[in-house]
Amino acid sequence: MFGRSRSWVGGGHGKSSRNIHSLDHLKYLYHVLTKNTTVTEQNRNLLVETIRSITEILIWGDQNDSSVFDFFLEKNMFVFFLNILRQKSGRYVCVQLLQTLNILFENISHETSLYYLLSNNYVNSIIVHKFDFSDEEIMAYYISFLKTLSLKLNNHTVHFFYNEHTNDFALYTEAIKFFNHPESMVRIAVRTITLNVYKVSVDNQAMLHYIRDKTAVPYFSNLVWFIGSHVIELDNCVQTDEEHRNRGKLSDLVAEHLDHLHYLNDILIINCEFLNDVLTDHLLNRLFLPLYVYSLENQDKGGERPKISLPVSLYLLSQVFLIIHHAPLVNSLAEVILNGDPSEMHAKTEQDVQRSSAQPSIRCFIKPTESLERSLEMNKHKGKRRVQKRPNYKNVGEEEDEEKGAAEDGQEDAEKPKGTEGGSKGTKTSGESEEIEMVIMERSKLSEVTASTSMQEQNTTDEEKSAAATGCSESVQWSRPFLDMVYHALDSPEDDYHALFVLCLLYAMSHNKGMDPEKLERIQLPVPNAAEKTTYNHLLAERLIRIMNNAAQPDGKIRLATLELSCLLLKQQVLTSSGCIIKDVHLACLEGAREESVHLVRHFYKGEEIFLDMFEDEYRSMTMKPMNVEYLMMDASILLPPTGTPLTGIDFVKRLPCGDVEKTRRAIRVFFMLRALSLQLRGEPETQLPLTREEDLIKTDDVLDLNNSDLIACTVITKDGSMVQRFLAVDIYQMSLVEPDVSRLGWGVVKFAGLLQDMQVTGVEDDSRALNITIHKPASSPHSKPFPILQATFVFSDHIRCIIAKQRLAKGRIQARRMKMQRIAALLDLPIQPATEVLGFGLGSTTPTQHLPFRFYDQCRRGSSDPTVQRSVFASVDKVPGFAVAQCINQHSSPPLSSPSPPSTSGSPSGSGTTSHCDSAGASLSSTPSAAQSPS
Amino acid sequence: CPLSMFFRKVFLNSFSGVGKSCLLLQFTDKRFQPVHDLTIGVEFGARMITIDGKQIKLQIWDTAGQESFRSITRSYYRGAAGALLVYDITRRDTFNHLTTWLEDARQHSNSNMVIMLIGNKSDLESRREVKKEEGEAFAREHGLIFMETSAKTASNVEEAFINTAKEIYEKIQEGVFDINNEANGIKIGPQHAATNATHAGSQGGQQAGGGCC
Repeated sequence: MFGRSRSWVGGGHGKSSRNIHSLDHLKYLYHVLTKNTTVTEQNRNLLVETIRSITEILIWGDQNDSSVFDFFLEKNMFVFFLNILRQKSGRYVCVQLLQTLNILFENISHETSLYYLLSNNYVNSIIVHKFDFSDEEIMAYYISFLKTLSLKLNNHTVHFFYNEHTNDFALYTEAIKFFNHPESMVRIAVRTITLNVYKVSVDNQAMLHYIRDKTAVPYFSNLVWFIGSHVIELDNCVQTDEEHRNRGKLSDLVAEHLDHLHYLNDILIINCEFLNDVLTDHLLNRLFLPLYVYSLENQDKGGERPKISLPVSLYLLSQVFLIIHHAPLVNSLAEVILNGDPSEMHAKTEQDVQRSSAQPSIRCFIKPTESLERSLEMNKHKGKRRVQKRPNYKNVGEEEDEEKGAAEDGQEDAEKPKGTEGGSKGTKTSGESEEIEMVIMERSKLSEVTASTSMQEQNTTDEEKSAAATGCSESVQWSRPFLDMVYHALDSPEDDYHALFVLCLLYAMSHNKGMDPEKLERIQLPVPNAAEKTTYNHLLAERLIRIMNNAAQPDGKIRLATLELSCLLLKQQVLTSSGCIIKDVHLACLEGAREESVHLVRHFYKGEEIFLDMFEDEYRSMTMKPMNVEYLMMDASILLPPTGTPLTGIDFVKRLPCGDVEKTRRAIRVFFMLRALSLQLRGEPETQLPLTREEDLIKTDDVLDLNNSDLIACTVITKDGSMVQRFLAVDIYQMSLVEPDVSRLGWGVVKFAGLLQDMQVTGVEDDSRALNITIHKPASSPHSKPFPILQATFVFSDHIRCIIAKQRLAKGRIQARRMKMQRIAALLDLPIQPATEVLGFGLGSTTPTQHLPFRFYDQCRRGSSDPTVQRSVFASVDKVPGFAVAQCINQHSSPPLSSPSPPSTSGSPSGSGTTSHCDSAGASLSSTPSAAQSPS
Repeated sequence: CPLSMFFRKVFLNSFSGVGKSCLLLQFTDKRFQPVHDLTIGVEFGARMITIDGKQIKLQIWDTAGQESFRSITRSYYRGAAGALLVYDITRRDTFNHLTTWLEDARQHSNSNMVIMLIGNKSDLESRREVKKEEGEAFAREHGLIFMETSAKTASNVEEAFINTAKEIYEKIQEGVFDINNEANGIKIGPQHAATNATHAGSQGGQQAGGGCC
């Protein structure tokens, strides 16, 4: 039986597909099923293959011939599947069956086909079947199956899964039981399923009520506890870390937290008001406030309450504000952080909580009284619950909460978030914000030492006033302990460990789309691009500038990320649509910091080749990868105290520099950042950076006037063997390969242009007429390698042309680099170094036109409204390309090729600005064209 | 003793219809033969392969259908040791979106994650909109492995998955992946020796069916 049927089924593959994919074949398979109702060792392979074939026919039928579904339904074939499953037929059959079902439901595209499959409740029976979930593979296929089903949910199909009358929704309730499964892929699938369910529930009132009344509280309270437990583990991981050994685990825990936040946010943006109220309440009162925010406060207070350390709390709160933008949630959260928490003054202990738990919104982080599975079970049999209830339940309030009738529950849930909001509304009196502004302005004049304490006093009075204004009888003095903590953390002189988190938090709060701008205005933290502000938070601005100043010190302990964030925040504070409102005194301080940063780079300025490359590379990577705070806060490594060693694998901007090279890089970056900030605040354009601007360069297909330019004819042989005739021309910064322009005599079309500074030239061993030339493009991302844009052998007409070309390229390279170095020197206000002449690279011609590069590097294109820039430009006037050429033509008369040719430039640091010959002080930078004859 | 590893992989592609689920089915279950009037795919699959004499189990998860939820795609990236980015060579729009996906993938994943770029539907040469050279250039610029495949003709399907697995395997050998950290999507351990045996057994007994697991 086994052998024969097997070959029948298997043999079908060889034949035309029509035979297998047909109603007749389905009929045959049905026959096989009826003959094998009991699974045995002998027939299990046959059964598996039969089910698989049926699936294939069904999918084929869905796409080609729907009559197969009629037969499938008529014969009730799903029952056979279920029957096989229920026989405890073993792992192999189970996995195969689940896989097949997966494939079946995934590939069915017609709604009617789907209805056929879903009718009769068989699918629900499979969902509630008790599989062996300890088996990893069965678990994976099972949860994938549920996920596939959840993707098929819509307004019509939902009725096959959710039964209004029996209050049954197996797909959802079975899935959420695995919300804390150890396998991450399973948890992801559970989240997907719930999100798909919530999305459909928005349009289905009955289902929505079911989800909210019967499952939301148990699910969300367990979820919140699960997240909180991870957070405590995370904190523990930070506290117990030694020598950064916990980084791997830490990064997983952080990623886990992010996953949760994104998940919560995804639920919130489905925008199902019912659910959002319950979820917001749980998040705020059971997690964010009691665990995160209360931990900002003095760590010794609060008794036995679970706590996390300050950096962890700041870090996690930043993540919350970066990810979740649900207005009621973020505003309530910000309210407590910025204004303190009136309910906190009641200082509930664990016991108080239990006694007074009838009151909604008790803020504490406590374990749900029963497991999710049990809660769901209880909800199902609601009538019997009172009997089951025992008097010694730990948290009576929770219990009652769940027991309340649906309507009552709804009311209460709706009230909860309002309760938190209520407190905040009371404090919003109209005159208040102005008042705080004034006070803070006064405050900033006082010494910093007293700043935080007196601010606290001030706040207290404020709150008293507002409390009185709202008729609140509470005379308790409550402060803004959290805000104080925030400011205090910025003052830490030793390092920026806490400061970075505080800046991130402020940034995140002010960029949060759900945040009410008024809330932030009260601490004068404006949202980006806020209109019509006339003042800013001086306290904060001063702290930011202090960080900048600190960063510009040689031994500053400020990381680049902190500096960049400070710059961002300062800009956000003082830049308005109508201009910059920074106070002169603050601008002066900032200029001081910028000046310091110039000194710092000067210290590292060297004539060595590598400095130029570093300088340009830092500029490139800084502009190409501007700070993304969300990405920054995804990195767990910043949770551990700042370190300097790259051996940790921590990104350069998130740690302190190690060694001279990194110190140089850091100094360059600090300089760039402060320069950019200073220019922007003074409303001046950047005219000097980058050193090479894309638009100034010669590009492929440009047409150049090459009359009187030096051109060398050559044959260019690329790596793939192709051969072209070109003329080689050397400009100030670039070498280019041109071919004659047919329309204009003496003009040429650029076929290739590459930077001289990135070029390597080597001779060819057995051919004195040939050169190997490679030009690399600097890597654009850390994942890619530098990529050669040119890699070719150049063959010239004779060895003299070859030597000329080699020299011209070599010298051009040195000159190009030197010119850039001098522009850097100008940027750093360094004394002008005498331009040294490259040996044998003289100017043989006397007509000025001959010295003009193909293109003018027009001074005015770089603009110069900036006085300091102007100064530096003048100081180095003869170092600026174009200008230099025009100025210095007649000062020079060294004959062409008068000196021995320089060594090959292939990568050697030859002829650096400071170390090479200074024989002709004051000599100009000669432009590239030399006296060599053009062979054309 | 055979070393068992689990690689979890992800298909990442926001467009439906590029044929990634067909690729996956093609790789994990040989019993479903591609025929012209039947398009069939799967979103999850597992298969044993052998690299360097070692038994390796691949678990492949597809991100299909979850694109509207950022949390879900995010988590998938993270749990994976490797990813296959699939585009459709007959649809330029699917190619144009690669940069965005890649940015996401790099940001959310372990930086060591092996990423393979796949241009699918290479059988439809006449309708080709994206040149092979373009795919190659993109891969080179972003440090990816590149291959063109066809789920219909099964061309390069094995190679695509197995090369990705090999690359991951090499990274493990180099010690780039922390194999003790399951969050990387790699699991090694004797506790799976038993499961292995089962796999090997069912593999052998199923030659006619050519099934997996």
